[in-house]
Amino acid sequence: MLDVGAIRVAYGAATALWDVSIQVEAGELVSIVGPNGAGKTTLINAIAGLNRIASGRLDMDGVDLSRLPPHRFCDQGIAIVPEGRRLFTTMTVRENLELGGYRGAARAGRQAALDRVLAIFPILAGRLDAVAGTLSGGQQQMVAIGRALMAEPRLLLLDEPSLGLAPSIVLDMFAVIKRINQAGVAVLLVEQNVAMALEVAGRAYVLEEGRIAAEGAPQDLLAQPHIRRAYLGEHGA
Amino acid sequence: MPSLTLLGQSVLGGIFVGSLYGLLGLGLSLSWGMLRQINLAHFALAFLGAYLTYQLAGVGGMNPLLTLVVIVPAFFVFGVCLHALLSRFAISPFNSLLVTFGLTVMIESLIQSLWTADYRRLDSAYSLMKFKVGSLYVPFPELLTLLLAILLSGATWAVLRYTDLGKAMRAAAEDGPIAAAFGVNERRLALLLSGFSAALAGVAGLCLALSYTLAPSQIYAWIGVVFAAVMIGGLGNPLGPLVAGVVIGVSEAVTMALTAPAWAPLVSFSLLILVLLTRARSI
Amino acid sequence: MRLPAPVWILGAGLLLATLPLLGLPAFYESFLYLVFYWVVLATSWNILSGYSGYFSFGHGAFFGAGMYTTVTLTASYDLPFLWSLPAAALVAALLGVGIGGVVFRLQRLRGELFALLTLAVTFVLATLILNTPIDGGPGVSLAAVPVPMLFTSLSSTFYILALALAVATLLIARGIYHAKLGTGLFAIDDDEDVAEVMGVPTFRYKLLAFAVSCGLAGIAGGIHAMFVSYVTVGETFSIMVPLTVVLMSVLGGSRHWLGPAVGATVITCLLYGFTAGNYPVAGRAAVGLILVVVILFLPSGVLGRLVPRRRPARPTTASPTTTAPAMVPPAVAAAEARGLPAAQEPLLELRSLSKAFKGVQAVAGIDLDVRRGEILGLVGPNGSGKSTTINLVSGHYHADGGQIRFEGRNLAGQPAHRMARAGIARTYQIPRPFAHLSVLQNVALPARFGRAGLDRAAAFDEAWYWLEFTGLAGKAEALPADLNLHQRKFLELARALASKPSLLLLDEVLSGLTPGEIDHAIRTIRQIRDLGATIVFVEHVMRAVMELTDRIVVLNYGRVIAEGRPDEVMGRDDVVTAYLGKAHA
Repeated sequence: MLDVGAIRVAYGAATALWDVSIQVEAGELVSIVGPNGAGKTTLINAIAGLNRIASGRLDMDGVDLSRLPPHRFCDQGIAIVPEGRRLFTTMTVRENLELGGYRGAARAGRQAALDRVLAIFPILAGRLDAVAGTLSGGQQQMVAIGRALMAEPRLLLLDEPSLGLAPSIVLDMFAVIKRINQAGVAVLLVEQNVAMALEVAGRAYVLEEGRIAAEGAPQDLLAQPHIRRAYLGEHGA
Repeated sequence: MPSLTLLGQSVLGGIFVGSLYGLLGLGLSLSWGMLRQINLAHFALAFLGAYLTYQLAGVGGMNPLLTLVVIVPAFFVFGVCLHALLSRFAISPFNSLLVTFGLTVMIESLIQSLWTADYRRLDSAYSLMKFKVGSLYVPFPELLTLLLAILLSGATWAVLRYTDLGKAMRAAAEDGPIAAAFGVNERRLALLLSGFSAALAGVAGLCLALSYTLAPSQIYAWIGVVFAAVMIGGLGNPLGPLVAGVVIGVSEAVTMALTAPAWAPLVSFSLLILVLLTRARSI
Repeated sequence: MRLPAPVWILGAGLLLATLPLLGLPAFYESFLYLVFYWVVLATSWNILSGYSGYFSFGHGAFFGAGMYTTVTLTASYDLPFLWSLPAAALVAALLGVGIGGVVFRLQRLRGELFALLTLAVTFVLATLILNTPIDGGPGVSLAAVPVPMLFTSLSSTFYILALALAVATLLIARGIYHAKLGTGLFAIDDDEDVAEVMGVPTFRYKLLAFAVSCGLAGIAGGIHAMFVSYVTVGETFSIMVPLTVVLMSVLGGSRHWLGPAVGATVITCLLYGFTAGNYPVAGRAAVGLILVVVILFLPSGVLGRLVPRRRPARPTTASPTTTAPAMVPPAVAAAEARGLPAAQEPLLELRSLSKAFKGVQAVAGIDLDVRRGEILGLVGPNGSGKSTTINLVSGHYHADGGQIRFEGRNLAGQPAHRMARAGIARTYQIPRPFAHLSVLQNVALPARFGRAGLDRAAAFDEAWYWLEFTGLAGKAEALPADLNLHQRKFLELARALASKPSLLLLDEVLSGLTPGEIDHAIRTIRQIRDLGATIVFVEHVMRAVMELTDRIVVLNYGRVIAEGRPDEVMGRDDVVTAYLGKAHA
């Protein structure tokens, strides 16, 4: 479904991604792990249209995304939960969710989509008219995920959904991500919590210094001593 | 101590002046708060609008209110072009202030070469029209300014608050790239907003032409106090400039009535200083 | 042979001073007077606004304060004109200090807000003067005040006065540009918080620059009052004065001491040319157009584009091969206290340190000792308060409560530059170099302002040493934007080391580096420790934490949850749970 072929992204003189290739098939849950600054966020932002690619192939079901203006990416069924959530903090929760369903194809079904989001995150039902910036970190993350679901995506991009959340909430969040995936939405997950990211994923990529260093099933990646040591902090494993 | 009628007339006058502050400030506040552009040329544009009204109505004999049919679309296009230029160069808010100051000087020179530096006054059927309410006089041009200010500020507020277009604009103002990721055509909305702001300058120009004597140098007289109204009202808040403008206008009028007219600027600028200091502390 | 700039300025000044002897028509002197007058106003404005980035729109207020000081003292109190000039400078400078004393304490009041505030001050001052006997409304005439004939004619006198002031202003602007004050102001422009953390007393520097800037404008006002001889509030405090000054400086280049003078000369000549040709309106339009074009196409001004950056020579003392600590800088060698009995006494003691943001308790009462000569690892999940702790100890944030005892002295509540001078240095997780300074200048700055407090030459020598040490010597002349992430991380390290700190706070220096780069960095950090520095090390790369640290403190939710030897602490179940989110397979 998503086909990223040898893309390069640069910020000014510095290249952040070197010929990175990844694929996500319909209904898959794919994780990307790697150290801070490896280019994970750059990659996911490029897929969402937040960064422009300098070269390479960026296709969604055969549609060449690299030719589209940023606001047309979501029409191809891509929605993002960006790093740090980036809610519209001065707007209400309801307005944030409505904005998620702004794109033409999703607008008609907004009420039904809202009901679905509230079924996943019942706690938001009581906070719909609260200003998003006043919510707790966990609730803000729910709004960010809800906003992306409102766009009725076929591919959900999640960038560090566990960042800054308490451990118990992190577990809930991953349960939700699994549920969304089981409902048929493909998920591309970037996560520093390597243990969780590998546990939920069907397939994973390791990104290091702007390049794909390894790819495969989570259990195969976990078996590699170098990855255990580097990302799980195991000493002398 | 002035009589109660005199004081009442002063307060009324303050409300009218304040509504013009608000009308001038509305476009400024929108482009500053939502586009991060401090458009100093807004004032020059308003005066250009006023002179065009003067030309079309005073010299050409058109109904002053009908001049808006010409001025509003023309200014809208100007605003769109201005934003296209500024966004093409991706300049900082501070540099937008400097660029639009350059534009201000150019527009002022244009006005001066077309209409000279002499004072001009539009004489129309509306200029002397006034109503008597109780013991107070209500001049029509000023009343029109107040009504237009309320109407436009209120409509802008409602659009931003309740429509998809307005919500998309607010979202794009806060985080443009993320709004775009959800399908908002950020660039087109920004052009629209910039055009709307410039069109508002045209409307404010009509009000200026109906109520005031025009001279190119007068462009600079409004900058300080309108900026005060915009800052006090809160950047990007469509109702803020009008409310703050009326507060400033009334305080100025009362100050003038109780002391001397020359003390009036002290009120608005002291308010502005206070607002800036407390805002900086609270952020 | 190249003559130094002050000689050029003085020479040109003396040469121009002979002009009245040629017996030219008074008109030429008056024209040149105007050029000098604008040179003084633009250059003086630039000393605060151009160097530090605090763009003021209030220069008219200080100029006007000087003007009305001279008016009042000469017309009402019969003080001789020349004696009124120092008073004009003093009044304007005091006004500046008064405003700066309030405004500079507010962190966020920069950019357009500072510009607006200073503009508002101008109008308030104008209103006060207009409505008090200082002016009273109609303006004040100085026709009756005698002007001393310094030269053959009245116009020559004004010419010489303005020339002398222009020469003095340029010398002062150039002096500050090259002095410690100038370095500090440019750092403030790039990143005020980091400048303060590196030891720049930002508040005092801004205030000083503002006072000098206002004082010079005040004298210009005093002279100009007598030149125009009829002073009105409307003309004096018009918005055109500050806007013209800003235009001139931006056109010439506000990051160079000579830029505003170039801009002032060009604009004055241009306006005069159009006026003389009977096209004054076209002249104004041309000035407006120039402003638009310059901001859009030449944002750093004419000189900013043309003049290359200064290149301090590489010293002969540091050889390019010095990467091992064979050549230990004296201050670090002296601090080599490792292994001595005193080594066990705490260098830093934190006592119930706390800090909250918008109700979230980021640090909730931390007690912590850092012993001399150790590497202490500070670990914990994201948001556990590690970075906040670093920010508190480095003075970047002020603690809500608790003590930060460093070498026995409580530093809590002190401004950050005091922490730096006491010997605390830090790196930033996301590198925050001064974008407009070269790599070398970036490293020399803390050597000058931090604990070491070196003079200019010694600071550059010191900077070279640490550039060699971190392998950045080849990039010394580059701007930080030209560095990759790895190099920027090492630039952070070099900057922290150049201040010769006794306590080094490293905030995730390894994050984002490749395994090979991490190995290199670990070796470098060992070397630093062997030089005698005490290190607090915040890190996510667990391999480095295990290899490097002597002791570990684990934070979670702003509290210390474990403390001890790395291997025993990281084996504890509660730590693993907190740190990895769950007990991993």
